[in-house]
Formats: sequence, structure tokens, C-alpha cells
Amino acid sequence: MIAVVGFVLDQVSVRKGAVQILSEVSAQIPAAMCTAVVGPSGAGKSTLLRLLNRLEEPDTGRVLLDGTPLPAYDVRALRRRVGLVAQRPTLLTEDVAAELRVGRPDLVRHRAVEVLARVGLDESFLDRATSGLSGGEAQRVCLARALAVDPQALLLDEPTSALDGVSARAINRTITDFVADGGTAVLVSHHLDQALRISGFALVLRAGRLVECGEPGSLDYPGTAA
Amino acid sequence: MTAPAVPGWPGVAASAALVAVAALAAARARLAMSRELVVAAVRAAVQLVAVGAVLAALFAHGGLPGAAGWIAVMVVVAGQVAARRARGLPRARGVATLAVAAGTAGTLATLTSLAVIDLRPHVLVPVGGMVVSTAMQATALTLARLRDEAAACRPAIEARLSLGLSARAAFAPHTGRAVRTALIPSVDATKVVGLISLPGAMTGLILAGVDPVTAIRYQIVVMYMLLAAAALAAFTAARLADAVLFDDAERLRDLR
Repeated sequence: MIAVVGFVLDQVSVRKGAVQILSEVSAQIPAAMCTAVVGPSGAGKSTLLRLLNRLEEPDTGRVLLDGTPLPAYDVRALRRRVGLVAQRPTLLTEDVAAELRVGRPDLVRHRAVEVLARVGLDESFLDRATSGLSGGEAQRVCLARALAVDPQALLLDEPTSALDGVSARAINRTITDFVADGGTAVLVSHHLDQALRISGFALVLRAGRLVECGEPGSLDYPGTAA
Repeated sequence: MTAPAVPGWPGVAASAALVAVAALAAARARLAMSRELVVAAVRAAVQLVAVGAVLAALFAHGGLPGAAGWIAVMVVVAGQVAARRARGLPRARGVATLAVAAGTAGTLATLTSLAVIDLRPHVLVPVGGMVVSTAMQATALTLARLRDEAAACRPAIEARLSLGLSARAAFAPHTGRAVRTALIPSVDATKVVGLISLPGAMTGLILAGVDPVTAIRYQIVVMYMLLAAAALAAFTAARLADAVLFDDAERLRDLR
């Protein structure tokens, strides 16, 4: 079923103080596909996502990318290869053009326009002040900012949870296109049906444990059955 | 009657009348502060007499090693005090002490190597005291601000890290803000010196009978050295903060 393995979690546990966030999670996240990570809040979904670009480190167990443990990669190179889009858009600069150059200082204008087009925003946005963007536009700029670095994989932490329908659909389209071009996407989402519609694979977490994984239609998790 | 340039012991004793006036006034106003006032006044006298005795002994017998030791003790104490303002920052004590030490050492080394001040205990100790306290203030402000920025701006910092920026680059905007904030008191004090405040060193020299035009020479040196001490300490604190706020994998540590 899985053609190419992207990420592998091998007996991964994460503890924060007295709280066990993830307990011995072993899973595969296929490459060139969108994988949904679903489960009730507090299940450890965001932590799992943040393990994949080393914003979190497992207490025990290990995470591999393309068969190599993550610590073997230069961490900055890894993070350029594995982009992350957070739940709430965090803009870092004054205008959109500067925003797209945060991770890619050499980004030329026509490349910036291309990147904006991938998230469904036109060229006029390049000169817009970031303070004047709507929530949906800001999130799309954050996604474009991640895409500007040319990542092989995208980690998305509930990217559409706070957005209107238009922006949510635009972001889902961007993810679908990214995967169609051979990219690996990992999508944490509460919007179950939406996440599963664009995903070819899913992990179900509950209380820090992996309870199910497989194609979205084959799962027992409430609301995931086809 | 002409009084001496520096009051004698009888003069000091007479000045206690001022404490009595303040205590009486407090008693009349039923502030219930008279006792506290008197205790504070006695305490100040005891502390200063003790320091005076220690300094006299230090100047007479300690020599340069004694002066250096005295300054080192001040640096350690200042490091503890500054670290208290940065609670939650990992290894705050070490960072604060190093920052105060860097501000102090850099400033004093420059002053002595350029022969601006004498390499003698009775010069080094009071000048060192001014330098250490300024470095302490700048360090405390820098570290407190950096800790607050790291806690409040985690999403922005992690967004930059996620784009492949180094920890230092991801934290640089916050470092800049912290250092700027920390230097405001020193820069402002330098701007208004002589206009709003007649600072201590100059006041002391004038009281001791030195011509004001001569006294300001010392004050100019003092202002410059305090600027340098604050800047060196703030920059060192900010540099070291990068190292303690982020781990080897360039992750922002949890602050508690």
C-alpha cells in the first residue's frame, strides 16, 4: 500500500513534566501523499507534528526521514526540507514581499508571484502590509512563506481551523497541488471530513497513543468511515 | 564660622538632628514610621562606617589584588541580583554574572590601559563600584526583557526556526529590542547630565573644593564609562541568552 516511506516514528514517547503527551507511538507516514493526523484534542497530534521538524524531541524512541534518523540531518537543512504551518498565522515582517523572504532572502519577484499564486493570492498582495491582511489571507501568506523555501514536506497544524470557507478551500487546494507534485503533507485537523477528503492515509491518536492507521475509508474512528 | 570641606564627626552627630526632625514630624502626623526611620538612619550609619573601615584597610594593606578581589565580590553579588530579575531563564545566575563581569572588565581595562584613571586601589574601587552597578542594571533589564520576549513571542520564534533560520537569527529581533530597552536609562542619563542632574562624582569633587571646570572632566569620563559598561553588559547578556534559551537542536527551551 505504501509506496515510499517518508517519516517513520519508532516507539516515540514524549513527556512534558508530569504529563505523558505521546506513548510509544510507532507509525509510518508515506511520502508523496497527504496524511491526516486526527483524534480528540489533547491526543498529542500537534506534538507528533512538531517532532517531524524537531521543534520537539522524543524522550525515547526515534523519528526517521527517508530512513535516516532526524538528528543525523543538519537541523536547519531539515527544517528547510520540512516546512511547518502553525494553527494561527504568525506574520514576522511589515509587508508580504518581506514575509516571503524570511526563509528565502534571495527570492526574486517573479518567484514570489509564483508562490503567491500557489496559495491563490494575486501579485497585488506582494506590496500589501501584513497588518492589513484578513485571517485567511494571513494564513495563506504563511503557507506561501513555507512554500518559498521549496520544502519536500509540509507539516500543517490545523491550518484552516480559524478560517472562512474561501480561504480554507484555497489552502486545501494548495495542499492537494503540493502532494500532486510529489510533496509529502502531514495535516493535523479537527475538520475531519475535510482533512480526510484530501488525505490518502490517516493516523488516529487518542490520549497519546496511536489507535488506528490506514486509508481514511478503512478506519473505525467516529466519522472516518467512508 | 566656616565649616571644613568634609564634615567632622561632631558635624555628623549634629546632622542626626535632621533624623530627629523627620522622626518627630512622622510621630506628630501619626504615620507610625518614626521607629522605622530611626532604624534606617542607624543602619545607614553602621553600614557606612563598616564600609569605610573596610575600604580604609583595603587601601592601606590590600593593594591592587585587594582592589581586584573587592571588585570581583561586587560582580558576583551584582550577578545574583540581576539574575533575580530573570527568573525562569535557564542558568540565569551564570549568564548575569558573566555579563556584569564583561561590562566591568571591558570598561576598567580600557580606562586603565589608556591611562585615563590611575591603577590604584582608591581609584579602582569607587570607579569599579559605579561600573558594576551600571552593568548590573543593564544586565537585569536585558535578561528580564529577553525572558519575557521568549515567553510571549514563542510562535514567531518557532515560525522563524521552522523556516530554517538559526536560533540566533530567529531570536535577533527580540535581542535587539531587549538591548535597546536596557540601554535607555544610560543613554537618557547621559543626555540630561548637568541639565537635570548634577551627578555624584562631580558633586563630590565640587564639595571637596575642586574647581567645577576640573570636576566636569571626571564626570565626562564617568558618563562615558557608564555608557560602555551598560552596553557591554547588555550585549554580553543578549549573546549568552541565545545559548541558554535554545538547545543544541535549535529549539526554544521551555521557560518556567
